[in-house]
Amino acid sequence: MTKSDFLNELKSRLNGFSQKDIDESLAYYNEMIDDRMEDGASEEEAVAAVGTPAQAAGQILAEMPLSKLLKVKLSSGKKLPTWAIVLLAIGSPIWISLIAAAVSIVISLFAVIWSVIISFWAVAVSFTLSPLISLGGFIFAIAQGNLGGGLALLGCGCILGGLGILFLKPCVYAIKGGWWLSKKLFLAIKYCFIRKEAIQ
Amino acid sequence: MDIQIKRGLLDVCVLAAIKSEDSYGYQIIKDIKPYVEISESTLYPILRRLEESRLLTVRTAEHNGRLRKYYRITPLGLRRIEDFKEEWKEILSIYQFISKEEK
Repeated sequence: MTKSDFLNELKSRLNGFSQKDIDESLAYYNEMIDDRMEDGASEEEAVAAVGTPAQAAGQILAEMPLSKLLKVKLSSGKKLPTWAIVLLAIGSPIWISLIAAAVSIVISLFAVIWSVIISFWAVAVSFTLSPLISLGGFIFAIAQGNLGGGLALLGCGCILGGLGILFLKPCVYAIKGGWWLSKKLFLAIKYCFIRKEAIQ
Repeated sequence: MDIQIKRGLLDVCVLAAIKSEDSYGYQIIKDIKPYVEISESTLYPILRRLEESRLLTVRTAEHNGRLRKYYRITPLGLRRIEDFKEEWKEILSIYQFISKEEK
């Protein structure tokens, strides 16, 4: 492959990105190929040594933030023939609802993860606060002359309080786990937009 | 090697390659190659990432009638190298402990 073939293919693979990103990427590979040739390699060898345009584009895509990727995916459209546009319009109730379904699934996945975490914390916090609340109940019971009942209430409150404190540590782990899961989910979605050539 | 680990290691390798003097892309690859496998396509995102994190700066200069990008390490980049070395002192001593146990 010649240098210009390589650069042209890379350019088309980066279609949709900002002119600045494209120019910088092309300048980089141009420089790399030239340097190798200056070191004595032939144009063919130099181009082969820097990898394939697919690999180059893949690595650049992999580093792009999700927002840029989405913009590119949406804007890189070749001109559609009229019949395709008509079909797309007619089929829109279907694919629009499909996309809506996909988005809601993603949202609900995140919601599930975080509602589990929130319920963990709800339990922990309410248990931990029980002694305080039962103290109030204890005072109220005493005021009514019910010492036995008051003590029982206070005792229960303390038991719950102890359980709540014990439960706080798992809650911290729950948050860490939930955060890790969310990140993995996010990365998985991001990689839906990049082909496999990206990694390596 | 785990890809994420390798990425983090390569970042510091690139910094080390430009530590004592400014360097350019191909030279960096030549410097690192004897120690760890690195290709142009992996180096490019690393350089961009390091620049964004202000661990190095880039300037363009003329060389043999064409333009070449030169990379210079920043004080922040130097500190990153030192932090990395500190982290790995601990890993090394753990390794020594593990290896020592075999009798």
